[in-house]
Amino acid sequence: MSGLFRIALLTLAALLSAPVLAQEDRPLIITDSRADRGMLAPYLHTRNGIAYLYMTYVFDSLVSQDRQGRPAPGLAASWTISADGLTADLQMDGRASWHDGRPVTARDAAFTFAYMARHPYPFVTLKNVAGAEALSDRHLRITLKSRDAGLVSGLLTALPILPEHVYAAEDAPERFTAPEAATGSGPYRLASYDKAQGRYMLEAVPDHYAGAPKFTRLMIVTMAPDAAIRALRGGEVDVISDLPVERAAGVEAQGLHVVRARSGHVTKIAFNHQGMFGARTLRQALAQALDRLAILDITAPNGAGALAETGYFQQGSPWREDRTDPVWPHDPAIAATLFEAQGFARNGTGRWQRDGAPVTLRLISDESQARVAQVVADQLEGFGFGVELRLMERTALQAVPPGGDYDLLIASVSTTGDPGDIASRVTGDAWSADRYAGDGRIAAALEAARQAATPEKRLAHLRAFQRLYAEELPSLMLIDPVMASAHGGRIALEFMPDGARIGIPTAIDKSAFLPE
Amino acid sequence: MRVGPPLLGLLAVSLAARPLLPAWRSSREVLAPPGTAHPLGTNAIGQDIALGLLHATPNTLLVGLAAAALATGVALAAAGLAATAPPTLRAAILRLVDALQVLPAMLVLLFVAAFAQPGLAGLIPLLGLTSWHEDVRLALALIRREAGRENVHFARSMGASWSHCLRRHVLPAIRPALAALYVQNIRQVTLRGAGLAFLGLTDPRLPSWGSMMQEAMDHLYTPAWSWLLLPPALALTLFLLVLLALAEAAPDKDAAA
Repeated sequence: MSGLFRIALLTLAALLSAPVLAQEDRPLIITDSRADRGMLAPYLHTRNGIAYLYMTYVFDSLVSQDRQGRPAPGLAASWTISADGLTADLQMDGRASWHDGRPVTARDAAFTFAYMARHPYPFVTLKNVAGAEALSDRHLRITLKSRDAGLVSGLLTALPILPEHVYAAEDAPERFTAPEAATGSGPYRLASYDKAQGRYMLEAVPDHYAGAPKFTRLMIVTMAPDAAIRALRGGEVDVISDLPVERAAGVEAQGLHVVRARSGHVTKIAFNHQGMFGARTLRQALAQALDRLAILDITAPNGAGALAETGYFQQGSPWREDRTDPVWPHDPAIAATLFEAQGFARNGTGRWQRDGAPVTLRLISDESQARVAQVVADQLEGFGFGVELRLMERTALQAVPPGGDYDLLIASVSTTGDPGDIASRVTGDAWSADRYAGDGRIAAALEAARQAATPEKRLAHLRAFQRLYAEELPSLMLIDPVMASAHGGRIALEFMPDGARIGIPTAIDKSAFLPE
Repeated sequence: MRVGPPLLGLLAVSLAARPLLPAWRSSREVLAPPGTAHPLGTNAIGQDIALGLLHATPNTLLVGLAAAALATGVALAAAGLAATAPPTLRAAILRLVDALQVLPAMLVLLFVAAFAQPGLAGLIPLLGLTSWHEDVRLALALIRREAGRENVHFARSMGASWSHCLRRHVLPAIRPALAALYVQNIRQVTLRGAGLAFLGLTDPRLPSWGSMMQEAMDHLYTPAWSWLLLPPALALTLFLLVLLALAEAAPDKDAAA
């Protein structure tokens, strides 16, 4: 009888524990509304921030980030910068190993610098690096051409370290698609990748030098938002990485967890500085002709966005000076006065003319900003300008050269991450950059910030840049969209204040999967 | 053509009313359901749907009527030329028509529209010049049938030119069939124009029933689909049904006349 009782007890215990075991054994399932992000290797993932983020689950960099986004030891356990700022000495973490079991050494890191100089990787720039040398297996020395105040939080955080024994023989890394290409040193190894389904299975590296990851497996699946919400409610998935913010309230009402944050990826109006808007007064006039608050209310209602700060850095950025930037409030009368002072005049129908000819502004954008573009066009027409709006394919828009056939361009730009990249976003020639030269003061402030000897001096120069940007208006910042993620409670998620790694607005940085 | 007057009348009324309409501007009343302020609701940027329909009607009608007229006219000219030209030129015209028929017109339309994002002035030639070849063989058969009749032979033997014969004898005889072709073309180009707008390949600031339907696509899973999608879809359906009714009625009346 006691034997039977014992068997019954054991059976009951097994039955009760089964769901717990199944839950722990189940991978953490993350949904992504976009399809395939490419193979999770530096030269093979698609060129967007989320694909880069997934790649960092597999590949570690020399410097990592903690949950607040601050620099933290990565493959380099410690580092020192010389007094002149031109030499960085890094001590590698001796516990780090590649997914095939070989140790990660300073030689791998030095190889990566040399390899990426020969095969540029779009998410980092090495033009200021004079060289990287392995002084021993543990000691890496990086030499710079000029001081870079953002070396640690910028380059060393962004650069994924490659295994020399895998990549040394590869002359065309973008065509190296064998599974070995995803041999990294990150907390997860790529177990399977289904390109057709856009599905990734990642397995934890239990002896990872930063500690065993919290989940033994991660699964990333492509799922449309509506299906993802139903699946999260049913417990079939654990995280919706990109919840449409207008659905957030409904998801919360179902008892699920939602985290939100301003993305810092701002929708802006970029000016053609080689056209009429090369004049600062006209940029300021246009800013006051537009009703930015109305644009926000119409295109990002119910908290889907916030009014963007005009001084480049957005609320929540650690680089932003806590001051009130000029908001350029909607004031058609002042705007009209400024236009008139620049030789514009209104005809009998209220239409603006210059040199006797009606003024038609050429506004270009792509489909993703169609609503903002239409509202801006409406407001400009209401103010008296003719507007020629063209929504172009992204590739066609990217091909529009500086000084091309447009007056205004609506685009989204990242203002997050280390400020070392700001110069390229303001003075660079890329389609989404401001393409601004001005009188050189902004470029000088950014260069001074880059070469600043101390963090305090860097911050002072960045604050000067913020004030200049809000006055000069290389671009007019419109909306700071809010992003949201949802989860069922298996994991605690938060957005990093200034974006993850290279400034990616996400709540699923790999630090969320690692022990504190 | 008996189908012309009612359609032209509708177009004239909608064109005449357009200057009286307020501008179709965005507002803060985003996705408002139908109510007293907005009888058919508002769209994702707060534009009034009823007002949008009124703005879109003349554009849609004008594109349909003008592009169909262009297609029918070019087809008739090509068929007339082929009927009266020497065999070599006739063969060249017909081979060109064959080549165009092999190439799907919709593909050409999509290709050109994706680059040009045409407005009203661009849509009419684009739709007209990608539709004409479908009518050439039928028009040629009609012309040749009528050109073989005795009245044309008599006229020719009395010294009348081919252009005179086409104008005075052939065209009046084939007018009912041309009317049917025209109506068919209106239906076809209207649907194609709506399709281009639905795919977002026309000028984004050109209101049309197709572009209004395209705006509804982002809201298919929300209650807003009913007031965003149904009004333009019903307007397009109603217009096509009216065209069908006119097409059925017109030849009989012409024949009776």
